[in-house]
Amino acid sequence: MARVRLEHVTKRYDDQGEIVTAVDDMNLDIDHGEFICFVGPSGCGKSTTMETIAGLTIPTEGEVHIGDREVTNLPPKDRGIAMVFQNIALFPHMDVYDNISFGLRLRDYPQDEIDRRVERAADIVQLEGMLDRMPDEMSGGQRQRVAIARAIVREPDVFLMDEPLANLDAKLKVHMRTELQRLHKELDTTIIYVTHDQEEAMTLSDRIAVLNSGSLQQIDPPLTCYNEPDNLFVAGFIGSPSMNFISGTVGESAIETPNFSLAFDPATVEGLGVGDEVTIGIRPEDIYPGEFRNEIRDPSSLISARVDILEPMGDEIFAYMLLAEGETSMDQKQTTNNQLLMSIEPDSEIQEEEDIEVAIDRRNVHIFDSATGDALVHKLEPVGSDTGVTGREAESDD
Amino acid sequence: MATTTKDTDDSDGPLARWTQRAIQNPERVYRALFYAAMAFFLVTTLFPFYWLAVLAVTPEGNLLAGSFLPTINLFGVSGTFPLPVPKGFNPAAFVTVFEQVPFHLYMLNSFALAVTTTVIVLFVASLAGYVFGRLRFPGRALLMLGILAISYFPPAAFVIPLFQAFAGNAPITVPFTDIPLFTPPRLLNTPGSMVLPFSALFMPLSIFILTTFYGQIPDGLEDAARVEGTTRLGALFRVIMPLSAPGVATASVLTFIAVYNEYFFSSIMATSPEAAKWSPIVGGILSYQTQYTTQYNLMAAASIVGVLPVVILVIVAQERIVSGLTSGALKE
Repeated sequence: MARVRLEHVTKRYDDQGEIVTAVDDMNLDIDHGEFICFVGPSGCGKSTTMETIAGLTIPTEGEVHIGDREVTNLPPKDRGIAMVFQNIALFPHMDVYDNISFGLRLRDYPQDEIDRRVERAADIVQLEGMLDRMPDEMSGGQRQRVAIARAIVREPDVFLMDEPLANLDAKLKVHMRTELQRLHKELDTTIIYVTHDQEEAMTLSDRIAVLNSGSLQQIDPPLTCYNEPDNLFVAGFIGSPSMNFISGTVGESAIETPNFSLAFDPATVEGLGVGDEVTIGIRPEDIYPGEFRNEIRDPSSLISARVDILEPMGDEIFAYMLLAEGETSMDQKQTTNNQLLMSIEPDSEIQEEEDIEVAIDRRNVHIFDSATGDALVHKLEPVGSDTGVTGREAESDD
Repeated sequence: MATTTKDTDDSDGPLARWTQRAIQNPERVYRALFYAAMAFFLVTTLFPFYWLAVLAVTPEGNLLAGSFLPTINLFGVSGTFPLPVPKGFNPAAFVTVFEQVPFHLYMLNSFALAVTTTVIVLFVASLAGYVFGRLRFPGRALLMLGILAISYFPPAAFVIPLFQAFAGNAPITVPFTDIPLFTPPRLLNTPGSMVLPFSALFMPLSIFILTTFYGQIPDGLEDAARVEGTTRLGALFRVIMPLSAPGVATASVLTFIAVYNEYFFSSIMATSPEAAKWSPIVGGILSYQTQYTTQYNLMAAASIVGVLPVVILVIVAQERIVSGLTSGALKE
C-alpha cells in the first residue's frame, strides 16, 4: 500500500546569494492507487515537488512519507519508486533490454526473473521484438515506451512521471495518454504525474493538484477544479480557452462593472458588503448569443457587445468580443475588463465587427474576491425577476 | 608599398602575382601550408625513428668507422647521399638486446608502473571530475585553481623530500621542529615510490579532461540511474563514465604514455638501474652502456622495441584521443 504524504515540504535554493523558494509549505495526501496530476505554469514548483518525492532533491523543511515509512532523507533507490523523465533519459550506451533491466540487474535479480519481467513490461508497452535496438535507432514514441517499461519492470509502489509526453507530437500524445490510462488500470499503483498541459491532467487523473509559485492552490477531482475553482488562479488555469474575468463592485442588488451590471444579492454571501471589489468569472461556453436567451434556465439580461475576432475551431467558434467602444487602451487591466470570449455553435451567422447582444447563464457565474483571489460563490441564486442584468446601452452602443 | 599593391597588371613581379592569386583563391594557400606543416612534422617525428633503425641494424664494429652518409657515383658524377644508410645489416641486434640485459623485464616494469598509475589516476580523477564537473559548491573555482597551481610545480621540487621520506630512515617531523609525526615505510626500489608521485603529478591533467566530459552528461541520465537503483558513485561508474569514453580514453592514454616514458623520478627512486629494483625502460637502455663501451646499436634497438607498445596503443586509440582532445579543448 503506497500512500504518499508530504508534510510542510519547503524547498529553498540559494541562487547566487538570492534565496528562491521553489516549494512553499506543501501538504499533500495521496491515496494508494490514485492517479494524481500536478499542473501549473512553468516554474510553479511542480517538478521540484516531484523531485522531493523521488529523493533527487532533499527538502529544506518538512517530511516525505511513502507507504508507512518516512523517506525524507533516503536516497532515491531505497524509496520504492520509479520515474519517467521529461527528457526520457534512456542510457544511450545500452540497448533496450539493458535499459529496461538496468534496475533489476542492480538489485541482483535472478536472470530468468529478469527475462520474465522484461518480457512482460515490453508486452505491456508493445515493444516486442525491439529489445536489441539501441535508443538512437528508435522514434520518440518508442523511446518513451522504453522509459515507461523501464519504470514498470521494477513493480514500484509509486510511479513518478515528469511530463513524459511533453516531447511527443500531438497524435502520439493522445495515443500514449490512453495507453497510460490502460496501464494505470492494469498495474493498480499510485501514479504521480507532472504536466503543464491541463488537458492531459483533466483526462488522466483522479485528482488534480494545481500549483502556482510553489504552493498548492487546489487538489480536487478534475471536474471539481473545473466547476468549483477555489480561487482566481485555478479558475484561469483550468479550462481552455480560459475563463473570462471582469472586475466589478458590489452594489445594493447587483455587481456593477463598467459595462454592465449583474443582479446579485450581497446578503447571500457571508462577509460581503456593498462597495467590495469582486471579480466575475464566466466560462466562454456559459455565454450565449441573445436569441438563445430563452433556452437558458437562469439567464441574465442582455449585454451589448461588438464582435472583434472570430476563431473557427470546427466544432465551435470562439468569438472575442469588446464590451465598450473605443477602448483599445494599452492598459492591460482595462482591456481585459472590456473583453469577453464566447464559445458559439459552428453554424452561427455572427460576423466580425457586428454589434450583438449576449446573455450569461447565471447558474455558472463565479464570483471571486478581487483582493485575495478566493472564490466566494460558484452559482448565483436566481433573482425574482428576469432583469438580472441591466445593459448599459448608452455606454457600449455606438 | 602603396604603388606596388595597387598595380595588378601582368607586368608585376612573380611575388606580386603569386600574392594576388593567393588572395583570390585562399584555398591554395591553405593547402600549401598544410603540406608544408605536414612535411615538417613527418620529418621531425619520423627521422629519429629512421635514424634509430639505421643505428640498430649497423653491426657494432662498423658504428664508429666511416660516415653514415655514403658517397655515390652516378654516371660519373659523385656526391654524398643526403640520407644516412646502415653500414652493414645485423638484425640480430634485436635479439641480442634481450640476451645481454633482461630488457623485457625493464619493459614489464614500465608497463606495470604505467598501468597501475593509470588505474589510480583514472579512479581518483573520476571522483574529482564528478565533483568539479557536476556539483556546485562554494570554493569550487578556488580548489580547481589550486590543483592547476600544483600541476605547474616542477617535479624536481619534490624529489629530495620524497626521496628522504621513501628512504624510511627517519621520521617525518613537524616543519621547523623535531617533533616526529610518523616514520614512513621504506619504499625505495619498490613500485610504491614511483606510482605515488606519478599519480600525483599526472592527476591534474586527467582531472581537467574528465571534469569537462563529466560536466556535459545531462543531469537526467544521472537522476535516472539513481532512481533505478544506483548511488551517486554507481551512476558515475555505470553511466557517466561509459558515456564519457572519449575523455576517459584520452586521459588514460596520456597518463599511460607519460608514465611509460618517465625516467627522472624512477632513476632516483630505483637506486640502481636493475630490473629487480623496478628500474624502467630508460634504465634498461642505459645499461647497454658500460664504463668502457657504449653499444649504440643495442641502445637503438632497445629504444625501438620499447616504443612499440605505445605506438600500438596510440594507433588503436587514436580516433578516441583526437575526438577527446578536441572536444575538451572546445568546451573548456
